[in-house]
Amino acid sequence: MIEVIGLTKKFKEVTAVDNVSFKVDAGEIVGLLGENGAGKTTTLRMISTMLKPTSGTAKVCGLDLLKEPDKVRKKIGILFGGEVGLYDRLTARENIKYFADLGGLSSEEANKNIELLAEMLDMKEYIDRRVGKFSRGMKQKVAIARAIVHNPDVMLFDEPTIGLDVSSSAIVQDFILDCKKKGRAIIFSSHSMREVEKLCDRVVIIHKGRLVYDGRVEDLRREYNGEDLEKVFLRLVGDKNE
Amino acid sequence: MSNLWGIVFKKELKDLFRDRKTVIMSVVLPLVLFPLLFGLIGKGVKSTTEKVTKEVKIAYVGGESSFKKFLSNVPNIKLIETKDYQEEVRKGSVYLAVVVEEDFDKKLAQDKMSDIKIIYDSESTNSQTALDVVEDIINKYKDEIVKRRLEARGIDVSILNPIDIKNEPIDKEKANQGALILTMLLPLYLIIYAITGPMAAAVDLGAGEKERGTLEPLLTTQASRMQLLFGKLLAISVMGIIGTTSSLTGLYIAFKYSMDFMGDVGLNISIGSLILIGITAIILNMIFAAVELAISIYARSFKEAQTYLSPVTIIGMIVAYGTYMMDVKSASTIMFNIPLANVSLIIKEFIIGIYNPVHIAITFAWALVYIIAAILFARYMFSKEEVVFRT
Repeated sequence: MIEVIGLTKKFKEVTAVDNVSFKVDAGEIVGLLGENGAGKTTTLRMISTMLKPTSGTAKVCGLDLLKEPDKVRKKIGILFGGEVGLYDRLTARENIKYFADLGGLSSEEANKNIELLAEMLDMKEYIDRRVGKFSRGMKQKVAIARAIVHNPDVMLFDEPTIGLDVSSSAIVQDFILDCKKKGRAIIFSSHSMREVEKLCDRVVIIHKGRLVYDGRVEDLRREYNGEDLEKVFLRLVGDKNE
Repeated sequence: MSNLWGIVFKKELKDLFRDRKTVIMSVVLPLVLFPLLFGLIGKGVKSTTEKVTKEVKIAYVGGESSFKKFLSNVPNIKLIETKDYQEEVRKGSVYLAVVVEEDFDKKLAQDKMSDIKIIYDSESTNSQTALDVVEDIINKYKDEIVKRRLEARGIDVSILNPIDIKNEPIDKEKANQGALILTMLLPLYLIIYAITGPMAAAVDLGAGEKERGTLEPLLTTQASRMQLLFGKLLAISVMGIIGTTSSLTGLYIAFKYSMDFMGDVGLNISIGSLILIGITAIILNMIFAAVELAISIYARSFKEAQTYLSPVTIIGMIVAYGTYMMDVKSASTIMFNIPLANVSLIIKEFIIGIYNPVHIAITFAWALVYIIAAILFARYMFSKEEVVFRT
């Protein structure tokens, strides 16, 4: 469903992502693992067509992001970590509806999806209130609904649990697992090995823009004789540092 | 898909109108500011003048004289006898003191010059007002003496006034002071409002979107950057136009109801002129909306955007004030090629009812160039990765 082919991004002199290739199948969660500044966000921004690759490309559901960026965007849903980025003066429903409209949904479709999402995420009580005064967890749910309201086949998560408390993190993690159940292809970026271990089928480790590992989590563990994965990660990254 | 900018436009307007700060700053404040300001100033001036002229308290210093008699016959003058007149004036218990020399009447009788000294407080508005009143009285008294002296010699008073000046405007129907004031003020205000009107919205929809972290999700939707840009630009322009309208309405109310001490300025502008001025104002707003949005997109935060935008205000104001006194009747066609100055001149022409097709064509053609340039500038900013992800 997602095929990343030799993706490279240079910012002036700095090569943020250097010839990265990997694949993600439907119903699969791939963890994109790396330290801060390793190139995870840049990779996701390229896949979502926000940034133009310097070279290489990616295919989403068979669509080349260089040739058909609009169609690619239609297939993709993104959830960012950190600030959820909602319009405080709009209600939860208006926030979600705005993105549904911009996603090209008809009004009936949008309203139907919003009702379903409100039910699924248990937001009915506050869906018509302005989000300005929402708690972090409530905002997180709105952001989730917004990311998925257009029924994307592919979900990209960019460190979605960063700065979240345990219960809000759980909301996000449940949502990711639910996406998997629905057969979506998922890339989940994180710098936490533990989270990746918990959720992901496969892991892609990048360091200083380069791919250093691409394989199943169990294989990684087996390769390093059942060592703690956090340590494995450090060793992989450390090897390259030398 | 083509109406995506319309969705952006509608959402942005809704969002802006829910922001109390923006509504107060760009709609309510301009509407009430001038009426309030002019009203208060007008009231203040009026009440001070009324209070002083109702009973002008003056200290008279010197012996009995014909002038004292003349003065005490003026109904609103109240003479106060005092020794320490300087202290009284300083304290404000009398507005001023009139010091008449001892042999005042004797000198007058001998056809000589007599002195009257007025001691007043240059820091007190009451004293200044009283000074005007008393000077008027003295001048009247002076005229009387001159008349008496001339009559004693058998000469007619009119000898002193060999020329009678009569001002006659070339076009009596058009002769309104209001139009002249308006040709100076309206272009200035329209330019300034076009700069300040869209500003709050531009900051909110550009840098604000970045600061809140809503720009990135927006970029992953079906809307292209140009569609986002157009939706936002239109919303900002509308806010600017609303701002200009409410500012002008405020100004109109202020002139109409609060400036009664200035007298009737009598305006007559044709509907055609009003429409043309309106179109010019809309164009001005769109130009500045695009420039401000471009700058705002470049900024990382609200604060940064406000810092970058303040020079725009200053540059605009300098140009606007530069054209303030420009006389439209002597302006050459070349002048209509100067940015902003041409807009200012064309508004002046519209006010006094000149519709010069060449001037209109040149100015509007340039306006179109500015709008396109400003939009291209905004588009450039919006499409540059370094700018959009400059956080």
